[in-house]
Amino acid sequence: MSVQLSQELISIINDHRSVKALATVDDSGVPHVVVDHSIYVAENGNIHYLEHLESSRSNHNLVGSIWFDRKVSIGVQGGDDKKFQIKAFPVKVHITGPLFQKHYVELRQKLGDVDLTGVWEFQPIEVTDESLKALQQDEEANRPIFRHLDRFAKIQSNN
Amino acid sequence: MTAILLDKVERKLTLNEVIEKYPDVPRIVILKTDVHLRGVHFTDAALGVVDPAIHQVRGKSLFGSRDGQIKPLPASLLLKDGTLILPDPTPLERSPYVIDLVDGRLALIDNDELLEFVDLTEKPRYYDLVTTSGIPMKEIVTARPQRLDLIVSGYCHFGTRGNSCRFCDINSHNRQQAKEGVGKSRYKPQEISETIREALKEPGRFSFIHLTGGSVLAGDEVFDRELELYIETLQAIGENFATKKFPVDVTTSALNEKQLRRLNDETGIMAYTSDLEVLNEEKFNWVCPGKADSLGYKEWRSRLIRAVDIFGRGYVGTGIVTGVELAKPFGYTSEDEALRANLEEAEYLAEHGVTTWSSPWVVRPSSDFHDQKSPSLEYCIRFARGLDQLRVKYGLIIDFNDYRRCGNHPDTDLSRVH
Repeated sequence: MSVQLSQELISIINDHRSVKALATVDDSGVPHVVVDHSIYVAENGNIHYLEHLESSRSNHNLVGSIWFDRKVSIGVQGGDDKKFQIKAFPVKVHITGPLFQKHYVELRQKLGDVDLTGVWEFQPIEVTDESLKALQQDEEANRPIFRHLDRFAKIQSNN
Repeated sequence: MTAILLDKVERKLTLNEVIEKYPDVPRIVILKTDVHLRGVHFTDAALGVVDPAIHQVRGKSLFGSRDGQIKPLPASLLLKDGTLILPDPTPLERSPYVIDLVDGRLALIDNDELLEFVDLTEKPRYYDLVTTSGIPMKEIVTARPQRLDLIVSGYCHFGTRGNSCRFCDINSHNRQQAKEGVGKSRYKPQEISETIREALKEPGRFSFIHLTGGSVLAGDEVFDRELELYIETLQAIGENFATKKFPVDVTTSALNEKQLRRLNDETGIMAYTSDLEVLNEEKFNWVCPGKADSLGYKEWRSRLIRAVDIFGRGYVGTGIVTGVELAKPFGYTSEDEALRANLEEAEYLAEHGVTTWSSPWVVRPSSDFHDQKSPSLEYCIRFARGLDQLRVKYGLIIDFNDYRRCGNHPDTDLSRVH
């Protein structure tokens, strides 16, 4: 069921210059998105996310996800307009132990007086290339009608 | 026909049946509750990976276990959602869950079915240290994954008068620990202060401190001496904090308003608990004769409500030993009736700002109620669900006794998403 992330994608996720976002939903299906640089790929191939606050909407939604098998989505944008979406299941939250304490110390060294409530671990189950080029190629191949007529015209307008 | 009717009345739903019947309650919370009710047995293979030099094993405790033994078994087991199981070693003939080794990992097993993987916790660094007076610090302060625990008094004075709560084994367990050399009953403030200082040197390791103990009746007013012990201990702990208030709570006998004000003014506590144990006066009088004699149900409850004026809504709580109200012969005869009565009384408390939580009753072999039966899993889940809903209805938080700062209550596990 799980998928292995490509080396290219792992490099993009672990690059601090990339933009990364985590999307969760609450019990009513209302989505919540956070842009967060703490997302990274761990040695076991799972994705980790550092949650600072016990009472945050993301944390509450993640607890709901691990309790009721709800997926989360992680969006990643690297250089050269490379964009990916990863669907994943939360499989564990580390609230104590060496991994938790390592991140706790590093976070506080980096950000000052902040807290850490848990290191969430996600198992990826599906990866899609979300770059415009890839999506457009896919749509043109599989849904050829979804184009405006002027794109088929002999004479292309510049307006 | 009679047999069929009896079966209908007495048959308890299985774990899977409860999970199916209550889809709004997470499976893992129901499972954890059932593990609490039935206890655990560690296989030799599982114990083979427990290394007391690395892992946290059981230390001095207020209550005993169902096997009546004191052994260095794992102190807690972590589940995937960050909640924990406080394993209660239980003889195999009583059908406990089994902790075994599967693919090199510890797993929770029942009827050969793997239900969840679990993790051990590592011992804190201060467990290897001794105080300047030569006392091992792990005797003074024990630890849960994220909490420091201190027993202020390992002896309950209700027992002196033969009035112990009937489900409780504090005094017999205290005697057993003393006999087997598991720590002392009290420690000097300096020893406590030194231990807390060392515990705080491990960043991210702990998020809360909890103090509790048996009731102490002495003093000009009842519980005055108990109050002094808590103030002395809290002040020793407080020496290590930069702020007057810090995340610490106490579970004491029900203190009066004057005593509560002293506790609040002279120490760093942020939350207050006094356990009613049973949410009905008549059952309370039977199950908790010492509490009934010293104050009575109404005064105990009234003192909790008055504590809200001092500590605030959501910072005062009371623990219930869920199911003890069903004990024979004077308990409720129907779980439905008991549940309705419990939730009505919990709602009265919630209206007044006091939050109630549930500890499903585990029958202790050396308690007065040693020959009784624990309540059904379904009853515990219905009560937990009801308590969580009351907190939502009355806007009560349970931050000082949640999955991380305690981890022993199914209803407060549910409340972590509010």
